Amino acid sequence: MTIEKTTPEVGGMGHSLKRKEDSRFIQGKGNYVDDVHLPGMVYGQMVRSPYAHARLKSIDSEKARQLPGVLAVITGEDLAKANLAWMPTLFFDKQMVLATGKVLFQSQEVAFVVAEDQYTAADAAELVEVEYEELPVLVDPHKATAADAPILRDDRDEKSNHIFHWEVGDKGATETAFQSAPVKASVHAISQRCHPAPLETCGCVADFNKATEKLTVYLTSQAPHAHRTLFALVGGIPEQNIRVVSPDIGGGFGNKVPIYPGYVCAVVASLTLGRPVKWIETRSENLQSTGFARDYHMTAEIAADQNGKVKALRVKTLADHGAFNAAAQPTKFPAGLFSVCTGSYDFRSAFCEVDGVYTNKAPGGIAYRCSFRITEAAYLIERAMDVLANQLKMDPAELRRKNYIQPGQFPYKTALGWTYDSGNYEGALNKALEMVSYAQLRKEQEEKRKKGELMGIGISSFTEAVGAGPAHTFDIAGIKMFDSAEIRVHPTGKAICRMGTKSQGQGHETTYAQIVAQELGIPASDVVVEEGDTDTAPYGLGTYASRSTPTSGAATAMAARKIRDKAKKIAAHLLECSEADLEWQNGKFLVKGAPSKSKTIQEIAFAAYTNFPAGLEAGLEAVDYYDPPNLTFPFGTYICVVDIDKGTGEIRVRRFVAVDDCGNVINPMIVQGQIHGGLTEGFAIAFMQLIDYDESGNVQGGSFMDYLIPTAVETPHWETGSTCTPSPHHPFGAKGVGESPNVGSPAAFVNAVVDALSHLGVKHIDMPIAPWKVWTILKEKGVVN
Amino acid sequence: MAIRIEKSFRVQQPAERVWAFLSDPRRIVTCVPGAKITEQVDEHNYKGSISVKVGPSVTDYKGEVQILRSDPQAYEIEILGKGSDVRGRGSASVKMQGKLKALDAGHTEVTSISELNIVGILAQMGARVITEVSNIMFGQFTTNLATRLAEPAGPTESAAEAETKPLDAGSLAWQAAKGVFRRES
Repeated sequence: MTIEKTTPEVGGMGHSLKRKEDSRFIQGKGNYVDDVHLPGMVYGQMVRSPYAHARLKSIDSEKARQLPGVLAVITGEDLAKANLAWMPTLFFDKQMVLATGKVLFQSQEVAFVVAEDQYTAADAAELVEVEYEELPVLVDPHKATAADAPILRDDRDEKSNHIFHWEVGDKGATETAFQSAPVKASVHAISQRCHPAPLETCGCVADFNKATEKLTVYLTSQAPHAHRTLFALVGGIPEQNIRVVSPDIGGGFGNKVPIYPGYVCAVVASLTLGRPVKWIETRSENLQSTGFARDYHMTAEIAADQNGKVKALRVKTLADHGAFNAAAQPTKFPAGLFSVCTGSYDFRSAFCEVDGVYTNKAPGGIAYRCSFRITEAAYLIERAMDVLANQLKMDPAELRRKNYIQPGQFPYKTALGWTYDSGNYEGALNKALEMVSYAQLRKEQEEKRKKGELMGIGISSFTEAVGAGPAHTFDIAGIKMFDSAEIRVHPTGKAICRMGTKSQGQGHETTYAQIVAQELGIPASDVVVEEGDTDTAPYGLGTYASRSTPTSGAATAMAARKIRDKAKKIAAHLLECSEADLEWQNGKFLVKGAPSKSKTIQEIAFAAYTNFPAGLEAGLEAVDYYDPPNLTFPFGTYICVVDIDKGTGEIRVRRFVAVDDCGNVINPMIVQGQIHGGLTEGFAIAFMQLIDYDESGNVQGGSFMDYLIPTAVETPHWETGSTCTPSPHHPFGAKGVGESPNVGSPAAFVNAVVDALSHLGVKHIDMPIAPWKVWTILKEKGVVN
Repeated sequence: MAIRIEKSFRVQQPAERVWAFLSDPRRIVTCVPGAKITEQVDEHNYKGSISVKVGPSVTDYKGEVQILRSDPQAYEIEILGKGSDVRGRGSASVKMQGKLKALDAGHTEVTSISELNIVGILAQMGARVITEVSNIMFGQFTTNLATRLAEPAGPTESAAEAETKPLDAGSLAWQAAKGVFRRES
């Protein structure tokens, strides 16, 4: 599927148009939730638990209420009267809005104070006296099902900390393959608890108008429509009276998919007071209480022959979900798309099982810049392949090459049930090897080892599964995961489009306009894209899991094609010919054989309102709800080169080559920007970030003092490249890309560090690989004193 | 967060005088920044409080002090203190084993092993900072102790009731951070 390139003036697909949204962002003129100021607005502040597990003995809010300017103090008991003390999570569990009975993690929401200004609200929150009785704390997920473990969720019928067991694959065939395999390699790897930490924290302004009975919620939401429906279902507010507006969003990365207690409290407060209520969390509140990511404790075993040809894969995983199972996953997938863990390789059989448990930690398990647990899966298989290569003393690039699914095998059904749409894994590998001068690097490494210097090369050949999804397989809380686009062409040939997705910095205002430009020939600069207002945009499931281009992007193309079909009728009328005599070329309909007779899309748009044929409706608009036939499967090969300082254990990423294949590209510059961002986040996860807990359940990593964000100083230089294998089922062959670099890169970093130390017998190091970990290993191995 | 701190220091006072001071919670408390004894329940049990100022807010731990063991012959004492913040910001407990050793020239060596456990907002600062904060508090304690012991009239009962200024962990955190970097650089 090749895309005919438009002129730069039209700016269709493949043009590196500057991002339309950036002019307001770089001038500080964005409009984020905290920029919303409404007349009579008041402020909410959360009172949070200092304990990870404690019985709530009493809450005395009298002193807080007496502080001048305080309007209300809401507790769990108050919410219980309205049946709102608990709310459903996105995954068949419920979560306390405000604690009743007991608290289950440090920083859990206990009371909500509303006051005339933020300062009074903060002061009043300090005056709420809460008496607790401390209970035994469960921090280690491996101890969750031990006989002496405290039962955390006494609200549940099952008196156990075990949430679910999920398995997929052919257990018998996998066992058989393992029994006869001459080579077995295994790795235990932790994809540690981390947090997306978007630049903008979560928050909302809830505005209930008692006169019109209409509730407007300005919300940091990646999925405004789904949130509107959930507010209606849970709060009992008629859905036509709810308007959710997601204004500019300062990064989401999955963190802004769930509904948080602060939103519910602000809504309840506004319903009660009849005034707009703003609640914006602090950085620490964001890190400590909102959706974390990962916390997967995984074991992978590969069965192979002596030549390194893989036969079977066995995966066993323990998932720490914290106090409530608030994972944002499609309904049928308790471990998300983790079963894509066979990766880019041709495994004949595989078996994967996952157990989820509760602990005294913040709830979550969101898809941090990945499609539902795919980062965990990609990290695991790419680590395991390196362990196998090391065991067989094979070059990791050659081991991968030997085992790739071949281009002729697509569509390829994996042993765990996914059907990959298209791929050319060896193509991406070859390009990356060439860009990095692999053979030369290996030679250099050999020489350096002789001199006692530490240098490592890490490879990761990941496959992502994005764009959920086919409605028959994917839904969130029952709502099918289609998505939508509406295009309205104005009489003067300009257009406005609205989508069910919601940009959080991905550049939708530019890329969707480019799709319209490509399909209709209307210059992208003449197309306005609006998202995030549920009163105006068509229904959709929002932006996460790299689904915008595969779903709403596809819907945009389909809606544009509907418009083109109607435009053809109008053109035939204007040119006094039959539709069959017309052909579409560069934004015009021409009469075949008489190209001087033509009508541009702009002329046709004007006629759609001024001179349309009898029997045809006026106007030039279309809407499309696109249900993709399958996921799309972007892929790539990343190669990382590190040098390690023996004295300090410091790791320096000397080079990082990223070859991505996301099919046909809408805007190469935006794709590159997304890859730079994703690699930087992957780098942070590999080397810097961990939300840890001490034995009492105190959060260690609950502020930017301890939870580190890479700046320009730490961030390596990225070298990007691409291959192009279009998706055969997507309307313009695109696959989605925003998450690939975060999915594929952690394994490349870790593989590089392990490779640098492999001659010392090091087989694995858990992330984040801070210098002290490396230094400790070097000390243990006697490399340094 | 559990932290174990072992310290020993010397004071230029004879052991019996130091013991008389150290074995009386009402007197020793005058050396702990921000701490006071509010009530003596019986021979071994007291009620008290300690304030730690973190930025704009004060954490007020209220609780009990218990003498678990006291051996005047061996100059050994074991004290347990535990309390909760009155505004529910967390709790803390400390178990301290103290031992005196008489040295030449009428000097005394004080050795203590403290097991500190902090739960709540303060504990989020991390073990490295909390250990350093404890070190600073201990430093202030020993300075105060030496000063009090050196007072000509000797430590009086009435002085025990004097309120000490709360420890300011705002500046404390800064000192702690300096401590961390100093040691690692």
